[in-house]
Amino acid sequence: MKVNRYEKAAAGAVALMLVAFAAIFFYAPTDWLQGAVQRIFYLHVSSAIAAYGCFTVVLLGGLVFLRNESYAADRWARAGALVGVIFTTVTLVMGSLWAKKVWGQFWVWDARLTSTLVLWIIYAGYLLVRRLAEPGRQAARIGALVGIFGFVDVPVVHFSVTWWVTQHPGPVIVNDALPPEMLATFLFTMFCTIVFAAVLVVIRYRIETLRDAKQVLVEPAKVVSARQPEPVP
Amino acid sequence: MSYLVIAYAFAVALLGGFLIWSLRTLRDLDRR
Amino acid sequence: MNPFLVAVAVARKDLLSEWRTREMVPALAQFIVLALLIGNFGFQIDSRNAPSIAPGILWLTLVFAGLVAFGRTFGAEREQASLEAMLMTPASPVAIFAGKALAASALLVACEAVLLPALSLFFGTPFSGAIVFVVLLATVGMAALGCIFSAIVARVRARELLLPLLTLPLWIPFIVAGGQAVQSAMGLPGSYDQAIGLLIDFDILFVVLTSLAARFVLDE
Repeated sequence: MKVNRYEKAAAGAVALMLVAFAAIFFYAPTDWLQGAVQRIFYLHVSSAIAAYGCFTVVLLGGLVFLRNESYAADRWARAGALVGVIFTTVTLVMGSLWAKKVWGQFWVWDARLTSTLVLWIIYAGYLLVRRLAEPGRQAARIGALVGIFGFVDVPVVHFSVTWWVTQHPGPVIVNDALPPEMLATFLFTMFCTIVFAAVLVVIRYRIETLRDAKQVLVEPAKVVSARQPEPVP
Repeated sequence: MSYLVIAYAFAVALLGGFLIWSLRTLRDLDRR
Repeated sequence: MNPFLVAVAVARKDLLSEWRTREMVPALAQFIVLALLIGNFGFQIDSRNAPSIAPGILWLTLVFAGLVAFGRTFGAEREQASLEAMLMTPASPVAIFAGKALAASALLVACEAVLLPALSLFFGTPFSGAIVFVVLLATVGMAALGCIFSAIVARVRARELLLPLLTLPLWIPFIVAGGQAVQSAMGLPGSYDQAIGLLIDFDILFVVLTSLAARFVLDE
């Protein structure tokens, strides 16, 4: 069985992730305040960062498409959106499990969690709109616009909720200071996760490219139908 | 402790499953 | 062609057409009635907790009414035909978009003009210029966003599902700041001035963004 180069890249990315996991579980010290469950945060935060990277790809792809109708740019956007939603799902689920252990409830309406949920909704909406729109130019255009508005919205939501919390002061929880071994583990995990995400985006881009090519072959002649004249009111 | 395990199991299942599914889709498209 | 005149002309056309058919009045009226009914029977509301509950009811109603009002700006088939006709003129797409958003806002403002006094009357919460100002300010940004997404999904299947899905995440900042402003105006803790400042910032940001996008959305 011949292994294509995408599979080789994937194997490499998986290997990196395994090394990262080894660091997470065996190298990083246990947090004295939260216990073992604190280890969730290495992959949880790395996934969030990988997701933001993916959505930046969606934004840039959309902007380039609007500028010069490059369907390659649109394919990068599609690839980025799907991978981004997957990583955001990972972020939300891991974060909820951590929150349940540390705060006693699966969900808190703080700025980070709220904006991450909004992020998920926006890009899940992106994928749904694209699926429902007419494939090709309409879908690409709509995608670009939704991607741009969505990308702007997330920091705005984050900011609004942060501000809202200052209006209603409550107990402050997070301690962000990290001892060096934890920081090293986190940076390494972040690097590996980003590489993993990048490989996934490239694979999905390839898939989109092949699918688009097949579309062209399968629909040799598209009959252009005249729009039905609207009855004059 | 089990929350930790569930969290990472979920991540591995989702990310790994997605990777495998994508690679298989790629193979399928290449074959045809 | 002067863009302001174009916008006003488009707004007038839409409002006249709505005045003749009066389709929106029952739709928006039912939200107001619903707000009052649910507010009273869904909550244990009394004079003490009314200021805590009324802002939520207000925003819930505005969001649903907004989705209906803005969803229709570009939704109807007749609208799309007349829109195509307008786009063939030298009028700027942004001006046309502004006109339609203006008309839809006017409809929502008419709804608010009934809703706000009604809430005050039925729940005993204060009714002040401060509250009116908040609602009007929020309507601007929400209208711009609601109308642009209405235009975006106008030709897509399942647009009744897509419109709320796409619009609500972008309305959240308005609900957060607007909600706080109304709460503050009704006497609850929190800064009214900061909330207003935020609403103005969001209005500017999203009006500019939607104006830039209008060109791409309407230009099929």
